[in-house]
Amino acid sequence: MADFVGQITPLLSGTISNATPLILTAVGAVFSERSGVMNIGLEGMMLISAFAGAVGGYFAGSVWVGLLFALLAGLVFALIHALMCVTFEADQIISGTAINLLALAAPGFIMLIIFGHKGTTPTVPNFNNLSIPLLSRIPFAGPALFDQDAIVYIMYLLIPLAYFVLFKTSFGLRLRATGESPESVDVAGISVSRMRYYGVAISGVMAGLGGLYLSTGLLSAFTENMTGGRGFIALAAMIFGRWHPIGATLAALLFGFAEAVATRYGQGFVPVEFSQMIPYVLTILVLAGVGGRAIPPAAIGRPYRKE
Amino acid sequence: MSAAGVTGSFARRLLVGSIRALLFPVVAIVLALVIGAIIVAATGNNPAAAYGALLDGAFGSAPAVGRTLVNATPLVLTGLAFAIPFRASMFNIGGEGQLFIGAITAAALGTTVAGSGVVWVAIIILACLAAGFLWGAIPGLLKARFGAHEVITTIMLNYVGINLAYWLAQHPFSGHGTVPGTGFVSARLAYFGGGLGQANYGSLVAILAAVAAYLLLWRTTLGYTLRAVGHSPEAARYAGMSLGLSTTLAMAIGGAFAAVGGGIEVIGTFGSMSVPFVSNLGFNGIGVAMLGRNHPAGIVLGALLLGALQGGAQQMQFATQVPLDLANVIIAIILLFVTAVGLVELLIGRKRLRAMLSGRRGKEA
Repeated sequence: MADFVGQITPLLSGTISNATPLILTAVGAVFSERSGVMNIGLEGMMLISAFAGAVGGYFAGSVWVGLLFALLAGLVFALIHALMCVTFEADQIISGTAINLLALAAPGFIMLIIFGHKGTTPTVPNFNNLSIPLLSRIPFAGPALFDQDAIVYIMYLLIPLAYFVLFKTSFGLRLRATGESPESVDVAGISVSRMRYYGVAISGVMAGLGGLYLSTGLLSAFTENMTGGRGFIALAAMIFGRWHPIGATLAALLFGFAEAVATRYGQGFVPVEFSQMIPYVLTILVLAGVGGRAIPPAAIGRPYRKE
Repeated sequence: MSAAGVTGSFARRLLVGSIRALLFPVVAIVLALVIGAIIVAATGNNPAAAYGALLDGAFGSAPAVGRTLVNATPLVLTGLAFAIPFRASMFNIGGEGQLFIGAITAAALGTTVAGSGVVWVAIIILACLAAGFLWGAIPGLLKARFGAHEVITTIMLNYVGINLAYWLAQHPFSGHGTVPGTGFVSARLAYFGGGLGQANYGSLVAILAAVAAYLLLWRTTLGYTLRAVGHSPEAARYAGMSLGLSTTLAMAIGGAFAAVGGGIEVIGTFGSMSVPFVSNLGFNGIGVAMLGRNHPAGIVLGALLLGALQGGAQQMQFATQVPLDLANVIIAIILLFVTAVGLVELLIGRKRLRAMLSGRRGKEA
């Protein structure tokens, strides 16, 4: 029993660490998809931001400059996706896949030019853990929740903010309407394109923050393909959370917890390959209607052309 | 009508047809090459020299041609894996996982019960076909039975398939060698020889697969049904076709092609399934299919282009210090542009594009 109690804090802490990049990316993706643009490119947006954040931080010697680079990279890739899908009416799935391939290939190319080798960057500045006075002394949960790095605290603020923006502001109402019925948004005199650009851009920036957490929060370096499918797990969390920021957060926490349990107790018990399948299998079950159907925004995936 | 008039209209139809088929791929390729040249120039290299080396490395010698063939072979199959469901109006993003299922099937059989020789090669390919068919049927069934969106389920199944294949390769079928993964298979596809390096009869299998896909789509009732469902689900349903069955079959057939691609990688190119297993072929197959406008002949050409880019990039890196990842950057940019209707409108004018594409406006990209 005492042993079990001793496990609570490390398990909770591991859950937060694992879930942070997923939550940021999944909550951001809600904005893109609610505006009517499917974002298969999350993996690429995370990956390129993890890379840009590491390289920016390395050359400036400051992790905060890295943060700026990461957000910018996420934004640029999101704008490419929006330009293709919204303005040029390209297929959203094809564009997203292209974004992923581009983000997979570009870091190797750039690393070879600036560092002379591929694979992994040199050690880059990272975020140190900041222990919040008082709160971090709450039994069990305190050290897990409030002895984390800056990105985690930013995330704590962004989750309620995302909920507020999406459901309590006129911007959120317009964004959601754009994904459900672009025609009526258009008739109301609001630009469908602009709302979709906003949605995709928010998704890109948040995926950028999520990606940055990998190279400067969990590690102090970028390695090729370091996202390893986390962008797709974030996509899974968003669907699991039914296109809702709180739902997406809870789903990402569940996946993070499963990963924490698997890394702590999984060895020799459940093969790691099987525990890694959990988010994907759960998503398939949700889509198959186990526990009610998941219904995406009505106009998702279709370019809107004004007639 | 005069004979000249008939020939004239035929030539015109052919011209319009070719423009319609080639316009988007050519615009995408040209733009990607231009952007690639700018990137090369930005790194302080000469774009002409880089592309020259790339071309030389892709087609300049017998080993270069062989390398292009080896690269193109699995891409033909993953391209078909995307194209056939697409004809039935579905996106198969699961080519990667399906390819892994084929690879592990070939490695498992090839290292256990199989002997050597062409009969075992055939049996292994058929086993991949069957495994891929069953694996591909899963998202089809989930769509048909529960309405689960195939884009999401195939993406999720990629990771399930890859993890499953890795577990099988490292545990039940582990070769216990210095390299993690399975041991070497006993049945191998023979090399062509003639200085073509590792080019093997897997390329022939890929060509046969493309022919089979063509015959399936345009010469069988099933193919007609799939295309009818793709064009107009309502009309197909009204005509008494089963949407659920054709949805499932289209995805299953797609999965079968990708899995054969994975099998050929194992019994042709690598001889085993190592962990990690080099791929991304499933995703590049989407680009191949898009370039080939989801037609088997176009897919063969698209696969040759991508295969050449990847093969030539090695020579380019060697000759000019431009990293070979440039090839993958160019492939990604091609894919980014290849469905961008608005971009082509912008480049050549909306009216002219409408005129060029006049006639039936199909739903194919």
